[in-house]
Amino acid sequence: MLKVIAACGNGMGTSQIIKMKISNVFKRLGVPADVAHMSVGEAKSQAGNYDVVFCSESLMNNFRATAKTRVVGLKNLLSEQEIEDKLKAAGIV
Amino acid sequence: MNASLDVVIGIWKGLFANILAEPAIFIGLIVLVGYILMHKPLHECFSGFIKATVGFFIMQVGSSGLVSNFRPFLVGLKDRFDLQAAVLDPYFGFNAVNAGFAKMGWTTSLIMLALLVAFLWNILLVAFHRITKVRTLFITGHVMLQQATTGLWLIFIGVPLMQNSIWGVITCGILVGTYWAVFSNLTVEATQDLTENAGFAVGHQQMLSVWITHKIGARIGNKKRSVEHLELPGFLQIFNDNVVATSTLMLIFFGAILVVLGPDYLASHKFYNPQGGEWFIKYMFKTTIQFAVYLYVLSAGVRMFVAEMTESFKGISDKILKGSLPAIDCAAIYGFDAANGNSILFGFLFGAFGQFAAVMGLIIFHSPVLIIPGFVPMFFDNATVGVFANHKGGFRAVVIVCFLSGVIQVLGGALAAGAFGLAQYGGWHGNFDWDTLWPCIGWMIQNFGSLAIGAVILLMLLIPQLQYLFNKPKYFASTDTAEASN
Repeated sequence: MLKVIAACGNGMGTSQIIKMKISNVFKRLGVPADVAHMSVGEAKSQAGNYDVVFCSESLMNNFRATAKTRVVGLKNLLSEQEIEDKLKAAGIV
Repeated sequence: MNASLDVVIGIWKGLFANILAEPAIFIGLIVLVGYILMHKPLHECFSGFIKATVGFFIMQVGSSGLVSNFRPFLVGLKDRFDLQAAVLDPYFGFNAVNAGFAKMGWTTSLIMLALLVAFLWNILLVAFHRITKVRTLFITGHVMLQQATTGLWLIFIGVPLMQNSIWGVITCGILVGTYWAVFSNLTVEATQDLTENAGFAVGHQQMLSVWITHKIGARIGNKKRSVEHLELPGFLQIFNDNVVATSTLMLIFFGAILVVLGPDYLASHKFYNPQGGEWFIKYMFKTTIQFAVYLYVLSAGVRMFVAEMTESFKGISDKILKGSLPAIDCAAIYGFDAANGNSILFGFLFGAFGQFAAVMGLIIFHSPVLIIPGFVPMFFDNATVGVFANHKGGFRAVVIVCFLSGVIQVLGGALAAGAFGLAQYGGWHGNFDWDTLWPCIGWMIQNFGSLAIGAVILLMLLIPQLQYLFNKPKYFASTDTAEASN
């Protein structure tokens, strides 16, 4: 089971939208994933326990990618195509 | 005959007291119905119901904490300076309305019902888009909650006949639902232009200023002189973290108020206890930082139940509406900032300057309502218009638009908090549309009653018609492509 965070500034609207889109993509690809959404502040302290962090491109510099945790920045939060492409480019799926 | 009627009335009373008048359970049931309609598996329906209900109860914990934390400030300012103070923030505003509802003996479940009516009304307006010209469905759950709340307050205090009644709820639903549909529809061109047709619109609290910025941005600045190459001090990054940002703002503003009230006054009213050896500076720090604590608890609860609500709403709307654009949180455009996030920070910064300047003005001119800037309108409104302003008119446009936006927020907020009786509960909604458009609507309702509500709804419905009239060939292009890619 892949553990995934969707993060945005306030942890309310935007991350909720990203979360629903990510879940759709994983479902379509047949990859089991557990997606949570939260604010950047919370995500920073919890990122170590997750496999992938999704956020808007403008917030990417809040996170440091490690061998365990990959960070994916999105431009269009509504584009499932972009999510899928970036997951593939990062070698996650 | 009479006996059986008594039984029916008894059951209804029980249902009302235990479910309808208990918003946490009520919102849980709304989510449950949504999930059942979506044919979700039973265990997911159950977990949705539980998380919505628990989330709402968590929110109430944060909410009551905020109210009690507020007391020394409200009492002190009233007592010593005959001042009322309102925090300009949608959560403080939400809290203030809830306190008002409790005092008047109105049930807050009616807010949930109004939200539901507004959402269904928005769906109807989009479903008949060939007639209404509405292209957008508002799905930003936490914002919908705040707006339905303030909207219902304005109607209840403005039209006594509608107080605490189902007619007030339906009227509020139609009024707020029309605002969602029409004003998010108004941001379609601006958002599509900025995002190069990413397929969404802004459904938030500053839709009017997004539209204005998009219209005037190019005239007051130069697109080529973007904020991209300007360096900002790195420490501003800390404001990306809402806990840090809120704590800092509260420490500055509430700290200043505590200093003005003074240790002697606070000790004489038993808020502060120097005999116990507590330093005043520690009392100050702890008291102000508590606002961030309760706000955090409150928003954790909101996030939990809104996540379920949004999912259930989205499921319903996806089934009914193909090819409409979703109107979502303003932060969704931040990734499209051509200046890599610089416009966001500059927008926030100049919005903050505008707010501070206006607060100074309130103090100098002895306004009866003091405004305490809250983080959400200061950051999210001004960062959002900042991105649009930079896109159309570069640095100059960002400075002018965001500074003015900050000034307007505080002045409009001070007027509204006083006029609609929420300053006594310490908060006003505070986002741009709620410091401009909605105080006007509220004023009309107070003076002309239900007649004004009808007029406002009709006037708002005219807006998409005018947009269509001036842009016939391209008007539905954005939704048609969305339809094709769905």
